[in-house]
This record gives sequence, structure tokens and C-alpha cells, in this order.
Amino acid sequence: MHATLNKIAFTFFLSMLLFSCKQEKQIVTKVTAKTIAVDTSFTPVKAITNTIAPFKEKMIKEINTTISYTPKKLVRTDGDLESSLGNLIADLSYSRANPIFKKETGKNIDFAMFNYGGIRAGIPAGNITNKHAFELMPFDNMFVVVELTPNKIEELIAYLKTQQTAHPLSKHLQLTLTKNSFKLLINGKKFNSNRNYFILTTDYLQGGGDNMVFFKNPKNIYKQNYKMRDAIVDYFKSKDTIKSTLDNRFKRK
Amino acid sequence: MERRKFIQQTAAAASLTAIGGLTLPSFTKKKKHITILHTNDTHSHVEPFEASHYKYANKGGVARRANLVENVRKENPNTLLLDAGDIFQGTPYFNYFGGELEFKLMSMLKYDLATIGNHDFDNSIEGLYKQLPNANFNFVSANYDFKNTVLDTHVKPYQLFIKDGIKIGVFGLGIKLEGLVSPKMYKETKYEDPIGVSQDMSRILKEEEQCDLIICLSHLGYYSKRNPTAVCDLNLAKATKNIDLIIGGHSHTFLPKPTVVRNIDNQNMLVNQVGCYGINVGRIDFYFDEENNITSKGRSIIV
Repeated sequence: MHATLNKIAFTFFLSMLLFSCKQEKQIVTKVTAKTIAVDTSFTPVKAITNTIAPFKEKMIKEINTTISYTPKKLVRTDGDLESSLGNLIADLSYSRANPIFKKETGKNIDFAMFNYGGIRAGIPAGNITNKHAFELMPFDNMFVVVELTPNKIEELIAYLKTQQTAHPLSKHLQLTLTKNSFKLLINGKKFNSNRNYFILTTDYLQGGGDNMVFFKNPKNIYKQNYKMRDAIVDYFKSKDTIKSTLDNRFKRK
Repeated sequence: MERRKFIQQTAAAASLTAIGGLTLPSFTKKKKHITILHTNDTHSHVEPFEASHYKYANKGGVARRANLVENVRKENPNTLLLDAGDIFQGTPYFNYFGGELEFKLMSMLKYDLATIGNHDFDNSIEGLYKQLPNANFNFVSANYDFKNTVLDTHVKPYQLFIKDGIKIGVFGLGIKLEGLVSPKMYKETKYEDPIGVSQDMSRILKEEEQCDLIICLSHLGYYSKRNPTAVCDLNLAKATKNIDLIIGGHSHTFLPKPTVVRNIDNQNMLVNQVGCYGINVGRIDFYFDEENNITSKGRSIIV
């Protein structure tokens, strides 16, 4: 009786010894999970806050750095189908993007077009800082130039006619809506239904944003590695005083 | 159902330990336990959201995340901290410092590994390369071929960790960059099919490297209703085997809890993603047992 028990115990002992001698394969038997909200129940770690502090200070200083000046406030709402801020944004975008496009293709952009909703804030009279540029254009939209067929240009004009909104257009486009018709000049010339046009816009609008579907599937697309906000900042930095006026580029008669 | 199975298994394991304990106390082994903490799409959100924020008031912030991570590491030193990409872009901290601060802070939090998201190319591949010296952790990507770029040899397909004798293999996956990022930014980076690459990866990690735990750090996105057959974490999980956990990113999906998915071998595994901006941290705990200690191969997943 005792001998049998001893034998069992010995066998057990042996087998335990064998198990322990070689590294046993580890198998997952249980998994638990939870999502932890990072909220005020956690105490901020000092070392981290201290590391952030000098970056924060420098960032705030940079953000509040004066980069230009405007004698009057610039807003998107001071005209009917155009605005001082919309005209400025479209013209400065053209002036920053066209040299890049010309260098790449040897051609000029015909005009620039963006959306009214994309101008997120105005600029008050006085000093202009980086902060204004961030507030005006918080999105990281990139410039693209699209080559559009005359049909697509007609769609674009039809969109402007239906919307009757002060979408930012560069001075190269002059559009007068009359009761039953319209008058269109591109760079002072009549619309030519036998040629393609090069339009500057953003990757967001090119993708069909704000229902600008005429930008989709263009003949050609030239993506610029240039953010619209960076262009705004670069332009402001290059001018002591910002001037922008309403010039009837888009109006109704 | 799964919970009951778990209780039965624990009971069996407990009785075995008890016998061992009676006979030879030295053979009683503590069950091994690995904790995985993870973030995704933190997007330069270094500081918490302001108290006036319409949606995320007082949420997030790296200093608080550091406290959370410290607490978990105190509780279980066998913890890995992982990130599924899009560390860059979203606050002026990125615009002004190019990701320097993000990487420095992640190094202070002792991140173990990250993968690369599409926005991490926002200052071009050179911009990412320039910030690498600020990261005391590695990046993995198994389906981006960086051979003809500055990142060549700097990003490995996978990395192995040994914690408490458990061998953990983590591989990375990135999203198709064409159409999403300008080629001027990602240059000669070549994208390979994530599903095929993952099938290879899981075989290498399971059979050649003999990993006990296999994790995929993915920036593919959770699932697209509009495009249900597109490559995503859910479809990847179903088409592969031996992956225990897919940590996702890109789609900013706030999963209330990880999704249990049956893989191609009909085994349960987990897919998780914790939204964005460092608002949440995901925690997954894996408990191990020696192979001959367990009666059935099924694992209990309690989520």
C-alpha cells in the first residue's frame, strides 16, 4: 500500500523534474482588455510638463510674431459676390503658386478658385501675426493645379451662377452675371471653347469638396508640395502692408 | 460561454498548482502575464484639450498619459508601450518643431515601438528621417520597402521582445500612400500588399522565431463601410493566422472595446483601436500557461 503510494509520488516527482528541465512552450490562456481615458484623474508628470514648457513658450512667441500689417480689417463678408479677404487669398495664392507651376511646365496658371467656406476667420485692422494665418486657414490643404476641358470650365461657371456666393477667385477671372446671361473674361480674353484651362485650387476642393465636382477627373493634375497656409504666411512676410480691394471681378448687373 | 470556459480552465490550473505545491513547493510557478499599452493617431496633441473644447474638454495630454503608463508599469513591469502611427500633424507644435517634441516625449514615456502613418510623411520622408535621433524607440513596417530612400536600414519589418521569458514579435503595416500623400513626400517608398506580407510575417514570427505572442501594429484603418472589401484591420484579421492582436490606427475609430475576430484558422483574436489625439490608451493583458498545464487550446477572451 505504502509502496504504491511512494511509487506514484516518485513518478510525479520525476515528471515534475522533467517539466522543469526544459523550457515549456507558453500558451495564451486568458486575455483581458480595457480602454483607459486620459483625463484629470491622472496627475501630469512634472518631467514631461517641464520638457514641453520651452517649446510652448517658443511656439506662443512665434505664433504671436507680427509678420505684416493691414490698415483695414479683411473679411469675407464685405462684398456681394467678392470680398476683400477672398480676393486677397485668391490673388496671393496665384502669385505664390504660379512661379512653381511655370518652372515645372513652362505654362501659366489661368486663374485661382477656392471656396467661401474655406476662409475660417477674418483679420482685424492692425498687425498681422502667424496666429491670424492659422485661424484663417486651419486646414492643411495643399495647392493643386488642374487642367480642365472647356466643358468643365462651363460647369465651373454654372456652379458660380447657381451658388451666387463670394467664392475666392483671382483677378484673372472676370464674371458678370446678368438676368438671363453672363459675361466672362479670362485674362482679359473671351472664353475659348477650343482650349483647356489651368486652374489653381486645393487638394480638398479637387477631391470634390464643397460640391466642386468639376475639379474631379481633370485632364491633368499637378500637385504642389505647398500648403495654402504656408503660402499665406510667406506672402504676408514678404509685404510690409497688405492691400486688398473690391474690384468687381465677380458681380451681378 | 467564454467566461464559463475560462473559469473551468482556471479551476483545472489551480488544482494542478495545488498538487505541485504539496509535493514540491519549488515547482510552483507564477503564471506569466504581459501587458500591452497602445496609442494611435496622437497627431501632435502634446497638451490636453482646453476646458472649453466642444468634444474633448480636458482630455488627453502627454504629461497625464505618462502618469497612466507609470502606474501600469509599476503594476506589471512586463509591459510594452506601442503606437500605431500618425504621431505627426495636428497642432502648431508640429508646424514649428517638425515632430521633435513628439518623439522626445514618446522617448521619455519609454515607448517600445511604433509604426509609420501617412501623416508621418507630412514633412517628407527626409523630415521623418531628420527626427529619428529624437526617438529612443524603433519603427517597424513590413510592407513599406524603403530600399531607395533615406529610411533604408532604419525601419525593420518586425522587432522581437523578451519579457519574463515570453517571446513577443511585433510587425508593422502601413497604408497605401498613392493618392493619399504626394509622391514628392514619400519619394521611392514602395507599398506592398498588407495581407500577403502579414501571412509571411506571421509564419516567420511563429515558425522561425518561435514567438509566444504576435502583434501587428497597423495603420490601415479599422473598416470602411463604403468600401467593405478594401484592405483594413478587420479583413486582415480574417485572412491571416497566428496573430494575437492587431493594434490599429488611421480611421480614428473609437472602439468601446476590442473586436473579437475569428481568423482563417477559426481562432479568436483581437483587433483594437483607441480613437485619436491621445484621448485614450488601450490596455490588453495576456496571461500565459505552460502548454502541458492546459487542457484545451482555446483561450478565454474577456472584453
